[in-house]
Amino acid sequence: FSRRRERAARGLGAGGAMEFRLEAHRIVSISLGKIYSARGQRGGLKLHKNLLVSLVLRSARRVYLGEPGGECALPPRPGPPPPPDCERLRRGCRPLASEAAARGRPECPAESPRKRSAAERDPAAGYPGKKPRRETEQPPPQEDMETGNVASLISIFGSGFSGLLGKERGAAEATEPGQVCCEQPVLRSLNPWSTAIVAF
Amino acid sequence: MEEDIDTRKINNSFLRDHSYATEADIISTVEFNHTGELLATGDKGGRVVIFQREQESKNQPHRRGEYNVYSTFQSHEPEFDYLKSLEIEEKINKIRWLPQQNAAYFLLSTNDKTVKLWKVSERDKRPEGYNLKDEDGRLRDPSMITMLRVPVLRPMDLMVEATPRRVFANAHTYHINSISVNSDYETYMSADDLRINLWNFEITNQSFNIVDIKPANMEELTEVITAAEFHPHHCNTFVYSSSKGTIRLCDMRASALCDRHSKFFEEPEDPSNRSFFSEIISSISDVKFSHSGRYIMTRDYLTVKVWDLNMENRPIETYQVHDYLRSKLCSLYENDCIFDKFECVWNGSDSVIMTGSYNNFFRMFDRNTKRDVTLEASRENSKPRAILKPRKVCVGGKRRKDEISVDSLDFSKKILHTAWHPSENIIAVAATNNLYIFQDKVN
Repeated sequence: FSRRRERAARGLGAGGAMEFRLEAHRIVSISLGKIYSARGQRGGLKLHKNLLVSLVLRSARRVYLGEPGGECALPPRPGPPPPPDCERLRRGCRPLASEAAARGRPECPAESPRKRSAAERDPAAGYPGKKPRRETEQPPPQEDMETGNVASLISIFGSGFSGLLGKERGAAEATEPGQVCCEQPVLRSLNPWSTAIVAF
Repeated sequence: MEEDIDTRKINNSFLRDHSYATEADIISTVEFNHTGELLATGDKGGRVVIFQREQESKNQPHRRGEYNVYSTFQSHEPEFDYLKSLEIEEKINKIRWLPQQNAAYFLLSTNDKTVKLWKVSERDKRPEGYNLKDEDGRLRDPSMITMLRVPVLRPMDLMVEATPRRVFANAHTYHINSISVNSDYETYMSADDLRINLWNFEITNQSFNIVDIKPANMEELTEVITAAEFHPHHCNTFVYSSSKGTIRLCDMRASALCDRHSKFFEEPEDPSNRSFFSEIISSISDVKFSHSGRYIMTRDYLTVKVWDLNMENRPIETYQVHDYLRSKLCSLYENDCIFDKFECVWNGSDSVIMTGSYNNFFRMFDRNTKRDVTLEASRENSKPRAILKPRKVCVGGKRRKDEISVDSLDFSKKILHTAWHPSENIIAVAATNNLYIFQDKVN
């Protein structure tokens, strides 16, 4: 196990911010590889695993692109106490105001994004467009698992990734040659995938 | 019918990759029946093997009720859904026993899509002396029959036969992860990633949907159901766990559709432990009611937690299974180990809980004394009737003689499935394709 990589994943270590981004990029590559290889898996797409992978992908992408709210995926850094209104972060680190992003400081780092209010705890409330169900309905046997939406999960990140490939070259120039772990060859080897991403 | 046979052959040769021939032996579920007399295992190849405990005999006191193979049968076959171009694995995800009501034994076994009710019964007598057919079953020439006789039952070698009595199919779009028999012994539930269905044992062409968390737009999906279980005594109550680390308790008397929970168990996240993988490691892989029905136990990637049904805001006990892995999460994500689904079990008196780990280690936690022990299930370290030696993982600093360092752990040897006898200190531990049965030593 690479200690340096592990510490970077936890937000520690020297050159913290750059290590974050390199690590985030690496996690993005690994996650894309997992989603891609899941398509050929015996037994069909595993919804649970792919959901978890997509959540990791989302967090890592936010950190890599330096998006505000991306820091929610990481342990809080010591700093001034959080402002009273942390409502925005409750729903899983939605992007903050650009001003806060420019400051480079996470807002409400101690606020757990997973903690929900009583209203949110009602699962039915989370699905505004939920169809009414008949009580004795047996799910139709021909129902589609809709796992084709894995491709559309990727399309969500798509706009970020053509940018990702551009940024990566910039990052490679900025750092020492030995340090780069965001391998262009890795992305290229996921051949059909990178083509699809660029097309998005 | 020939056509069916051909299809099966095509299915098998098309789907079975010979390089994973031994993968079929990997045990995927272990379960004692309600008396502990029988122990069932299911494997990736769709087979069920049932072990029966020997009657204790005065002649051989050291063979204290050992388990021997009682019955083996093929429960599920690989299937191919041509319409959706989907392969359906034959792997047995769960086995659950029904309480015994007559001489036969009944169990439910399920793969990703289909639940089956199997009857396991003994036959030790055979009718002999038919009028119209001879001993081989061939019809006799009527002109040769000169007398009338009544067939009599004669003893024969014991034969154990398993027959599928019910097949509950076509009710799950997603992969079934749990089945649970209700305490009314008339119904059971099956849970997949997004839905839970209630079945009556007698009715196979209908099930009642009691939980549905599928969002109208799948792109809004944020959590899935990971496990579900009925309360041991209250036939109206069940719990289900989610990939977000929460548990919902539902009461079927409140409404026909239990999308609204009666209780919601969630522990606030510790912000100092947050990482890219916080969400994955908080996903609950197993949930089990205590025998008393007062507590539930949950397993996530690094811990086992005990919850009091009367307290929803945090667990009453948290046990660290292998916290030394917390700093390795990135590598465990890379090699997919972070997705391993460990199960957890109570002992008969709810005083000890047990769960598995890597390197063929499994852990026991005594809830009263707060002591814990790590044991290993391996051939080299356990000869028959030898006492298991506690193991220790060295997390840093100087490694002592018998300790094993974290980096030497074998992550391909994982113990996901264990079972505890309902009343005695006998445990069954599945280590890949080997089953270990350990008993308390009696002097």
